[in-house]
Amino acid sequence: MGLSLGKNGQYNPDKPTEDRITDIGPRHFWQYFPPAIQKNYGKWDHHEILEPGILVHVSETGDKVFTVRCGGCRFMTVENVREICDIADKYCNGFVRFTTRNNIEFIVDSPEKLEALKNDLLSRKHVSGSYKFPIGGTGAGVTNIVHTQGYIHCHTPATDASSMVKSVMDSLFDYFTGMTLPAQVRVSMACCLNMCGAVHCSDIALLGYHRKPPVIDHEYIDALCELPLVIAACPVGAISPAKTESGKKTVKIKEERCMFCGNCYTMCQAVPLSDKLGDGVTILAGGKLSNRISEPKFSKVVVPWLPNNFPRFPEVVEHVKKIIEAYAANANKYERIGDWAERIGWEKFFEKCGLPFTEHLIDDYRLAYDTFRTSTQFKYTEAAWAVSKSVGGID
Amino acid sequence: MPTINVNGADIEVDEDGFIVDPDSWNEDVAKYFAAQEGIKELNDDHWKMINYLRDYYKQFQIAPMIRKLCKETGMSLKYVYELFPSGPAKGACKLAGLPKPTGCV
Repeated sequence: MGLSLGKNGQYNPDKPTEDRITDIGPRHFWQYFPPAIQKNYGKWDHHEILEPGILVHVSETGDKVFTVRCGGCRFMTVENVREICDIADKYCNGFVRFTTRNNIEFIVDSPEKLEALKNDLLSRKHVSGSYKFPIGGTGAGVTNIVHTQGYIHCHTPATDASSMVKSVMDSLFDYFTGMTLPAQVRVSMACCLNMCGAVHCSDIALLGYHRKPPVIDHEYIDALCELPLVIAACPVGAISPAKTESGKKTVKIKEERCMFCGNCYTMCQAVPLSDKLGDGVTILAGGKLSNRISEPKFSKVVVPWLPNNFPRFPEVVEHVKKIIEAYAANANKYERIGDWAERIGWEKFFEKCGLPFTEHLIDDYRLAYDTFRTSTQFKYTEAAWAVSKSVGGID
Repeated sequence: MPTINVNGADIEVDEDGFIVDPDSWNEDVAKYFAAQEGIKELNDDHWKMINYLRDYYKQFQIAPMIRKLCKETGMSLKYVYELFPSGPAKGACKLAGLPKPTGCV
């Protein structure tokens, strides 16, 4: 393949601004709509989920469109995208769309085509045996995991994204292809607490976390970094200006104040903090974005740290399963994980999920007071009795 | 790290072409970078911007905010892009020998 020689010719590095096209924005979505969607735009009457992964929308005009949703791995090769295009050409007149959770949706207009498409999608597998286009992700199940770059591309991660998502989805696959939960469970993953994506507002969130303070490269820091930015990047004020013995400008970090957020490393590459044994995964639970019944919630930390056990993260998978299974067995219909936890009380949530409660989970950042219990309303749990007994309280 | 040769002097740069030590900057370095950026000649406004950035960095050890930079030099952001096609951070700061911009850029 040669270089593009479109109407403006080849890029000329000697004249970078010649023939330059800028500020044209994205293409208008209308031109990529299937004809049935264009025709019925704004006229939809109702929809049904026919079976996991398959939706039908019925228009006021009587038109029906069938949508098949399949899992996407988000990081895809061009070859993979071309295969998606081939499928779209074969069944959907060349139209396809991606969802906000990076699933792939094929839209067809007749039940016959739907059946053929379904069979084709499920017959496609990678050489190693995993489904290329597993159908599912609708209704009250676990749909795709919104995730980030991890070790594939980013410089600040504390864990890997793609491999952890693969391991967790493998263990939750039956929830992806089924709709057996009380409500949908959104699982998200971010590899550092920049929280790119949706971890702060997901039913279950996996978050890369450091446990060691940065190492300062005194030799280069002044040349590479804007020191006031490094100092202002710290949320707990642990960084202050300093001088090295040879009189060079640098910073010092109060290690007992540092909580290993890595924000200073984002601003300055001379304070790296990634560490093989220190880094790991935190699990948060109970967040949601929708306004259905209860207002949107932030997710809360429920497991302070699990090791980065590459490549299958067995501890992380086990904890996620534990939470989902306890939720599935105990929650009422339509209750999201956060709704359930708040109804039964977080002390009961920890008991039902079999998670230990440690001091790491108690908020201690600025507005922490509002998260403490300022009430006598609580339920006794086995863990509470154990604490009571250990200090010689009531038997 | 790689080096560039400007008028016989070797200057250390990183993989994005930013100089590693702001003290190794001189006007020839700015001209050398300008040629790479597709700037034919550095005119008075170019130098005004470069000198402003260097003075600000010397005083505060950080690059100025875009708002501040436009206000103090009296140039609009559009004009800054005309002067430095790759923009104030990748273009002007590079020519002025400031450290590479960091954060989620």
